[in-house]
Amino acid sequence: MSRAPFAPSDEVDAVVIGTGAGGAPLLARLASAGLSVVALEAGRALDPARDYARDEEAQGFLFWNDERLSAGRDPVAFGRNNSGTGVGGSTLHYTAYTVRAQPADLRLKTEFGVGEDWPFDYATLEPYYDEVEATVGVSGPSPYPWGPPRTPYPLKPLPLNGAAQLMQRGCDALGLRTSPAANAALSGSYSSDGTVFRPACHACGFCQAGCATGAKGSADVTWLPLARAAGAEIRPECFATGFERDAAGRITAVVYRTPAGEERQRCRAVFLCAGAIETPRLLLLGGLANGSGQVGRNFMAHTGIQVWGQFDDFVRPFKGIPGGLISEDTHRPADADFAGGYLLQSIGVMPVTYASQVARGRKLWGPQLRAHMRGYNNTAGINILGDCLPDAGNYLELSDEPDARGLPKPRVHFTMGENERRMTDHADRLMRRIWEAAGARDIWSFPRNAHIIGTARMGTDPERSVVDPDGKAHDVPNLYVSDNSTFPSALGANPALTIMALALRTADRFLAKRGA
Amino acid sequence: MHCNMRGDRASVDKDTTATTAPGTGTATAGLRDHRYPDGTFAALIATPFVTAPTRAALQARMDKPPVIEPRFLAAGEFALLGAVCDHLLGETGERRIDVPGAIDARLAAGTTDGWRYDALPDDGSAMKRGLAGIDETARLMAGAPFADLAAADRERVIAAVAAGDPPGETWRGLPARTFFEDLLAAATESFYAHPLAQEEIGYAGYADARGWQAIGLDEREPREPEPVAAAFATSEGRP
Repeated sequence: MSRAPFAPSDEVDAVVIGTGAGGAPLLARLASAGLSVVALEAGRALDPARDYARDEEAQGFLFWNDERLSAGRDPVAFGRNNSGTGVGGSTLHYTAYTVRAQPADLRLKTEFGVGEDWPFDYATLEPYYDEVEATVGVSGPSPYPWGPPRTPYPLKPLPLNGAAQLMQRGCDALGLRTSPAANAALSGSYSSDGTVFRPACHACGFCQAGCATGAKGSADVTWLPLARAAGAEIRPECFATGFERDAAGRITAVVYRTPAGEERQRCRAVFLCAGAIETPRLLLLGGLANGSGQVGRNFMAHTGIQVWGQFDDFVRPFKGIPGGLISEDTHRPADADFAGGYLLQSIGVMPVTYASQVARGRKLWGPQLRAHMRGYNNTAGINILGDCLPDAGNYLELSDEPDARGLPKPRVHFTMGENERRMTDHADRLMRRIWEAAGARDIWSFPRNAHIIGTARMGTDPERSVVDPDGKAHDVPNLYVSDNSTFPSALGANPALTIMALALRTADRFLAKRGA
Repeated sequence: MHCNMRGDRASVDKDTTATTAPGTGTATAGLRDHRYPDGTFAALIATPFVTAPTRAALQARMDKPPVIEPRFLAAGEFALLGAVCDHLLGETGERRIDVPGAIDARLAAGTTDGWRYDALPDDGSAMKRGLAGIDETARLMAGAPFADLAAADRERVIAAVAAGDPPGETWRGLPARTFFEDLLAAATESFYAHPLAQEEIGYAGYADARGWQAIGLDEREPREPEPVAAAFATSEGRP
């Protein structure tokens, strides 16, 4: 077996760009199969126990803070909302809400005549869901109340915090089913094959600001130790900027910048796992894999409207897993006037995040702002995670404004369509009823669109998609994409679990063809 | 300590200001008031309930001297930003959380929060132009620069900018509503990142080195103080 460290002049079997949900599982799989693999990560390698403060502002280094330009009628917020940096990528700050897509999510076009179908069905993803849940350690209810029967979760659900109890109260009153949600944070100490032993979650609530204990199933404590043990090399602070290709169009090396200067790593294959902004940005910069003209197109963001209220009860919303409770009764609502559906999620919140949303959403200032914030400890929220249809008017392009590296900043256009607006209105009405039934006062809504999806979509038709169902670029023989940019449709589910499942499948497909 | 929260506690406790924006709420607010006693942060920060990196980050924020000489903004712009932040954050005491200094430092360093509205120029240009716009609007609406206005006139100016259609040539090239949203969000985030502002809202989440066991409704752990505003504590102690 080839093992790290490798020299840039060594022709390694594969270079993986990005170590988040798309890159890390794949890196572990390729290394375990005996391949020589190098991962390039733009961010730093940090030690959570030593380097992570339990403080939102101090943890700002976890976010991808290179400026992106947000355009369209519903500009999408980036930074802390959507993308991360560091060895482990966005999994370092994901909430660990690891819900599965439902089978119908992959057949939106068949069911409704809009959007896109995925090029394979739920049964294709299912074994990978099982594997990811076992490896990262998902705590969840067994049996799961919605969808087809599934393998029991490896750990029992996490305890409910105040926001989860309140949502349960409101949903009970309206006759909506709820359940403790599936979260990749450990309800008991745990290890799975080859992964390090990790402690139980101690309910600090800082998932979105980085887990300092290792209880959350981020890539740095799960897939990446597996990958290293199998011989992979992970290089932090390496920002990929381009590719070298031979006359046949094959990529022969990845060009990247380090603090010490520019390097190039020779390789036989490349896996681009940089997320739905940086992946298409890099492809557009290099004029690569874009015979379809679809690179950067079909940008989607989940409908994610939040409804907040203040209660007589003390919530202390900083405690516990933030997304403690779920309802999927709204996956296909009987009274829907839209395609697809959404899930409901209780939300706890840290004070700076909440204050920021009050500023942007309520426009409160002065004594009103201060008075509202003094109700922080009695605040709880519900939000949705809803499907989003691909639209030709929503896309990423390179702007003519250079960033600190001298590369063009990406500009992302996003405007909610009629389907997203109807779904948001439906959810707004329902969540307000839930909060009224639970006894909330001063109920207010914060419309938002979260997660970044779909800018290098997969499909069988090279005219309409960037990669094939295995994740391989239609136009480049040895380039694969593994991240949320390949999703043909947004799914009514938080993306991280599906990104990880898809990453394992892409690795398996690559290995199968390589062995053939 | 270089900064403090204002001390007019008694009047604030009677604050029944409606915080419900038009058409968005269902009831009066200002109902809850859970400030922690003065000194809560100072006492908790020294305990084993706070991890070492947390203590280092928060203590550095507490000890940071206020910025006197701005590094990005001109002196006049910086003074105007101070007056605007005072109004936005309801800061009326002699000593204040240094939000303008934090904003200037960020602009000087050129760091961003990862995105900006495409309708706005870069953060530094937007700030300089927006501040000029606020002063222009103040002169047009109230006949004097913003910093020279009484509170009621400041409120009229800020409300006009927030509403998105203030008088002034400056705003022809800068969308006022969008600029204001970014400014208010930046000021609010910086303010509530400060331990003393967090003390005011009864936040003790930084004292979590041993995690939390009492996470359900109306549950409180011994290290979490009783709120000062006992008159509001109607549900505390319920089973």
